[in-house]
Amino acid sequence: MPLRLLCTLALALVLAACGGNEQPATDAPAGSDGDLVLYSGRSQALVEPVLDRFRETTGIEVRARYGRDAELLAALAEEGARSQADVFWANTAGALGAANNAGLLTGLPDSLLQRPGAYVPSSGRWVPVTVRFRVLAYNPATVSESDLPASVMDLPTMEAFRGRIGWTPTYSSFQDFITTMSLVHGEDTTRAWLRGVSALEPKAYPSNTPMLEAMLAGEIDVALTNHYYVHRITEGEAEGAESVAIHRFAPGDVGNLALVTGAGLLASGANDANAARLLRFLLSEEAQAMLAENVREYPVLRDAPTPSFLLPFDEAARLGPEIDFERLRDIEGTLRLLRDEELL
Amino acid sequence: MATSTLRRARTSWALWAPMAVVVVGVLVPLGYLAVRAFDAEAGELAALIFRERNLRLLGNTVGLTVAVLGLTTVLAGPLAWLVTRTDLRGRRGLTLLGVLPLAVPGYVMAYALLATGGPNGTLAGLTGLVVPRPSGFVGAWLALSLYTFPYLFLNLRTALLGLDPALEESARSLGAGKRETLRRVILPQLRPAFLAGGLLIALHVLGDFGVVSLMRFETFSYAIYLQYSASYDRVYAAWLALMLLALTGALLWGEARLLRGRRLHRAGTGTARRARLQRLGAWQVPAWAFGGGLGFAAVGLPVVTVLYWLGRSAERETWGHLLTALGDSVLASAPAAVLAGLLALPIAYLGVRRPSPLTQGLERIAYLGYATPPLAFALALVFFSLRVVPFAYQTLGLLVAAYALHFLAEALGPVRSALYQAPPQAEEAARSLGRTPFRAFMEATFPLLRRGLVVSIAFVFLSALKELPITFLLSPLGFQTLATRMWSAANEAMFSVAAPYALALILVSTALVGLLLSERTPDSA
Repeated sequence: MPLRLLCTLALALVLAACGGNEQPATDAPAGSDGDLVLYSGRSQALVEPVLDRFRETTGIEVRARYGRDAELLAALAEEGARSQADVFWANTAGALGAANNAGLLTGLPDSLLQRPGAYVPSSGRWVPVTVRFRVLAYNPATVSESDLPASVMDLPTMEAFRGRIGWTPTYSSFQDFITTMSLVHGEDTTRAWLRGVSALEPKAYPSNTPMLEAMLAGEIDVALTNHYYVHRITEGEAEGAESVAIHRFAPGDVGNLALVTGAGLLASGANDANAARLLRFLLSEEAQAMLAENVREYPVLRDAPTPSFLLPFDEAARLGPEIDFERLRDIEGTLRLLRDEELL
Repeated sequence: MATSTLRRARTSWALWAPMAVVVVGVLVPLGYLAVRAFDAEAGELAALIFRERNLRLLGNTVGLTVAVLGLTTVLAGPLAWLVTRTDLRGRRGLTLLGVLPLAVPGYVMAYALLATGGPNGTLAGLTGLVVPRPSGFVGAWLALSLYTFPYLFLNLRTALLGLDPALEESARSLGAGKRETLRRVILPQLRPAFLAGGLLIALHVLGDFGVVSLMRFETFSYAIYLQYSASYDRVYAAWLALMLLALTGALLWGEARLLRGRRLHRAGTGTARRARLQRLGAWQVPAWAFGGGLGFAAVGLPVVTVLYWLGRSAERETWGHLLTALGDSVLASAPAAVLAGLLALPIAYLGVRRPSPLTQGLERIAYLGYATPPLAFALALVFFSLRVVPFAYQTLGLLVAAYALHFLAEALGPVRSALYQAPPQAEEAARSLGRTPFRAFMEATFPLLRRGLVVSIAFVFLSALKELPITFLLSPLGFQTLATRMWSAANEAMFSVAAPYALALILVSTALVGLLLSERTPDSA
């Protein structure tokens, strides 16, 4: 009978599950160099191919946990010293700064810190892995590039885009962008900017990919996003690639901000040697090339080749304002601002 | 009073132990929420609680819930009647169509609706027709209704099959018209089923974040999701969760009020006959159009969308990844489903057979577990396990327990409906013949609960297969379910990678639904 069969099967599974329980506790005594545990704020679809390659070349097993930066930070905070995590690979400098503030990260050897060509934070507690740039994506079918503002700060004056602007106030890279705006232009100007854009009735999306899908579907005309989301459409398999293009603001504009993803070693981890090998692999030419090709972000190694569809790195970097990423850790202030303006 | 013998019996530990597990498992997370909520200064707290935004969230949440309840009633009610009480041809196929949407995760439904419209949508791609994408309230309303109506359909169908036609016939012979019979005899009998199904749907709407986030409609759950996942602050999230819980509490209280004092089981001897079937005649065609159209929207659309993704693919997932994910999904969901069924039995039994403020209050607690936002529930269990049972953290056992405790409410409804219709007299007779309470229950009542129990297990299995936030936070390291794989890829717009996982998810769920329906065919043939 199906019911009895089902019950028996499931009971067997319960027992198997209970048996499996004890393994993690006995299998990995503290201090040994065993399987690596990675907490990844970057999505599985992007990270897994890189990890597969790492497993192949080193024979080290990596078990990953995926989530958004904030979710993983919350989990790390709850786990405290009991955390099994060895490496935190975050989507934003803000999250790494917050992790460092909370004392979760350990210092890195100089040999690692010297690998990237730029963007190494002054704390020396994490390394940048890839770089992306903030851009204004627009639909060339409905908007002419000459009508787009020279500075992101002028966006609030663009009455023509009322109801047609997309943004992601709850998304970490947008929040890093707001933090930078506060550093560069001051909190009052930033507040006024948020208010001004809000008055144009923008559409808020939970993250960038659905926002660009919405642009392809004709819901919005311009969107504040990161460069690679646009490239993923124009260089990828999606249909409607002609419905989206990149607009860069004038050189030095905060709207062209360079943002890094990065990784650090967690103080709670027990596998420091293997964890450092993973970081070293992420900064290897092979992994950097994979990330550039698959994710369409910029490599951080000075001499790493940049795919032809990307603006040359130096050119893109010159467009953005100069800041120390360590200063992006005042995420609290940004969250307060967004909350005051009813955006979060 | 018929239940007096039972009530006098001393309640055994077999009934109370599962109860204790549930109470602890559910209340601990709530305690965690309260601790978190007061983790800020008084002035800051006041600012968080009296935000205008909270009122807007409340309006959105209540409005969406009421709208979804309305639409699902309109969809599920007629469908349940058609497949149980009419001579409609192919009723079995239509029954399947009414249950199959359970196999489609809400976020897949939302993705399908979103992918249909727009100049680059599937509809434009296949027919050249451009319709605007549904979003906001309308999008969330449609997506949620289309995938939750089976909860109501299954409950109503079970109740309609269990109805004793003698009651209706008595009413008719006493001079009541068709309409009066419906209003005074049939509808009141369907009330527990309607309330159980409706409650599940309402709780689903209150707890859902996948659909509302894809449709960008701000409800409490969406706001909580954003707080947990997009900011480093857990205090406001905890407050939003408490507000949502207050809303759920009001709903549970209301449902309990509406159920009070019901006695719906048969009192006579002999078995119930099957009801006479209504002849549809020329109405066969519109009836089929209704059922078929509904089936297409709820099942066909997502399946076509997923196949469309699969077809336009460049990148392909390997079979190895797919099989691993499938194995992990079943390994966690199957034990959880059975565990939830086992926990639901004693709780529903006490609630129905020994109604007291205590037992019914405990039953409500199980619903609170379901109503606790999954993210908050998961984080609370992280907190709890790390402090109290650190060896269980990030193990399959904890994930199974979390699924079972969270989805317990889905298991309660069908068992409870079945219990309402199982006469206590047989069990009392067994007791008077010297059986122990447990054996008396197993021999006299349990066989009557089988149908309900199977539905319960199916509900939990399906929900656990589709679950996301709890899986993300509590699963063992490296554990990948079909759902998490699908969500991760679709989130990056890598739809061709997501497609095989979505398809596998739908197929596994469909096989399960088919198996369970076959278990119950003798009464629907």
